[in-house]
Amino acid sequence: MAAALTVSWSALAAWPHWLIVLILLPLGGAVLTPALYALQRRLVPWWALLVAGLTALTVLPLLWRLAHEGPFSYLPGGWARPYGVELRFDEFAALLAAAVALLAPPVLLFSRRYAARAVPAGRLPFYYTLLLLNLGGLLGLAITADLFNLFVFLEVVSLSAYALVAVGGRPVAELAAFKYLLMGAISSLLILLAVGILFALTGSLNMADVAQRLPALATPAALTLAAAALLVGFMLKAALFPLHNWLPEAHASAPGAVSAVLSGLVVKAGIIGLVRTYQLFAGVELLDTANLGAILVWLGAASVVMGSFFAVFQHDLKLMLAYSTITNIGYIVMGWALASPQAMLGASLHLFNHALIKTTLFLAAGALIYRTGLRTLEELRGIGRTMPLNCAALALGALAIVGVPPTAGFVGKWFIALGALQAGRPFFALVVVFGALLAAVYYVRIINAFYFREPEQKAVVTAREVPWSMLAPVLLLALLCLGIGLLARLPVEFLEPAVARLLDGRS
Amino acid sequence: MLPEMLLELRPNLDYAAVVVLFCIGLYAVIVKNNLIKKLLGLNIMETAVFAFIVTSGMVEGGAPPVLGPGVMPPLASPLPHALILTGIVVALATTALALALIIRIYLQHGTIEADQLRELD
Repeated sequence: MAAALTVSWSALAAWPHWLIVLILLPLGGAVLTPALYALQRRLVPWWALLVAGLTALTVLPLLWRLAHEGPFSYLPGGWARPYGVELRFDEFAALLAAAVALLAPPVLLFSRRYAARAVPAGRLPFYYTLLLLNLGGLLGLAITADLFNLFVFLEVVSLSAYALVAVGGRPVAELAAFKYLLMGAISSLLILLAVGILFALTGSLNMADVAQRLPALATPAALTLAAAALLVGFMLKAALFPLHNWLPEAHASAPGAVSAVLSGLVVKAGIIGLVRTYQLFAGVELLDTANLGAILVWLGAASVVMGSFFAVFQHDLKLMLAYSTITNIGYIVMGWALASPQAMLGASLHLFNHALIKTTLFLAAGALIYRTGLRTLEELRGIGRTMPLNCAALALGALAIVGVPPTAGFVGKWFIALGALQAGRPFFALVVVFGALLAAVYYVRIINAFYFREPEQKAVVTAREVPWSMLAPVLLLALLCLGIGLLARLPVEFLEPAVARLLDGRS
Repeated sequence: MLPEMLLELRPNLDYAAVVVLFCIGLYAVIVKNNLIKKLLGLNIMETAVFAFIVTSGMVEGGAPPVLGPGVMPPLASPLPHALILTGIVVALATTALALALIIRIYLQHGTIEADQLRELD
């Protein structure tokens, strides 16, 4: 029985077209959403959930094949590389794809009741269309092996994200969306410029091909410009300090389910971009990648400290969570730039775990705002008594993001700290600890306000738990925050060879 | 001093123009107070990048892959043009979305001057 099951799994995974289905499903589903709204508007949330669920299922055979065969490619139309477009599923693509697959269905289930209130009725079809486009773009961005497609998918993600910030129609949100758009468009242009320079230098757009051709070039100025443009572009997308200004307002003023996707997944697009940049330039001797790494380590450390520092002084729950995203992006970038095997492993783990935890936190916060309409800690005090399950999920997420063992947030930070020691730079291990302490300060403030203060607002006293279709995804994700920390061995063993390959420069 | 620099730039005059254009656009995005002017600055930057990629398609002494040997230069690689066609579509979408947001901002706050909007916060 087990053997038969294994055989049929591998037969399923051997079907070559899963990789393109992975993008076409959400993008196609997104395009059809407004049409469905015109026919049967009540079905739209279920439709979006169905598309997200099927997309999530599509990731399974891909992961199976990756685990058994290692990274593999798909050539749409059968054009040989480097002439045609290539899709490639490697461990880092798998990381982002798995995060999208895991988080998309709960977010869309949560959205059904939540968006009905948070989004004006006429905009509901656009809400679901944009959300599916965004998720499809993220998946495309993860698996593309082509520089120009990287830009195109990045734009799909970014444009849908700008619109999603404004879709709720709060007065602050539209201004925040415009600022986000301005910053995002500048970073996209820098990335396009770099793609253009790399194409002019090598005559190729395939990333692996470009990476092979770059070391032979003798044009340091052009190479530096391309690397710098890519770096700054993706840093802006990832909101690394000091390019973080657009993030807090945009993430805090968006509807809760959107904040979850933006903070959990969309900023990771910038991280994946940085990984791809590293893969491109790893073999180039004209460029001192160690120097780039040194800059990124410090910027990452600054992000960790400054993000927490700003968060401590916030009163708005969602603004706190948004600043905490800057901190965690700092951890991930710092881990990557330390370039020791364990630090990179930790950064990769934290990329996934932070997506999970931050989605939990934003969904739980969204549920509180859904019931009470209140946003600041002062107003929300005592809410732990009237919405105990939801607040328990939020508290669990808070513990996880502070990094209390054995939660999900602990594993990544632990490996980053170990990696800092391994790289011979104990100072950055201290930064990890210091960041966790600062995070504890403001997350304890949240827990204190919710559980140990008397409620004052009428809306808090009369609040009830949110409906099950909203509570269930929040609780499920909160339990996963706990569970994934206990099951950390599996992803560690999965990622170790990938990190080793990356450090050897044969990606 | 200056003419010598210009002479050095001559073979890459197109790239120099692109850099100047890019900087003008970036200046407008950062310095201008009116949101529409910021957006126009963004469009100028976009044009600069597009122009750069299109000009990089000119290859001196290049040979056409499809047409016969009788074709006379100058020849241009069609791939950058195809890329930039996509790029223009993306830029169009960005501009449309930004204009829509500006209209909403104006309807809600009654102004699109960045400093006045900052005071409203």
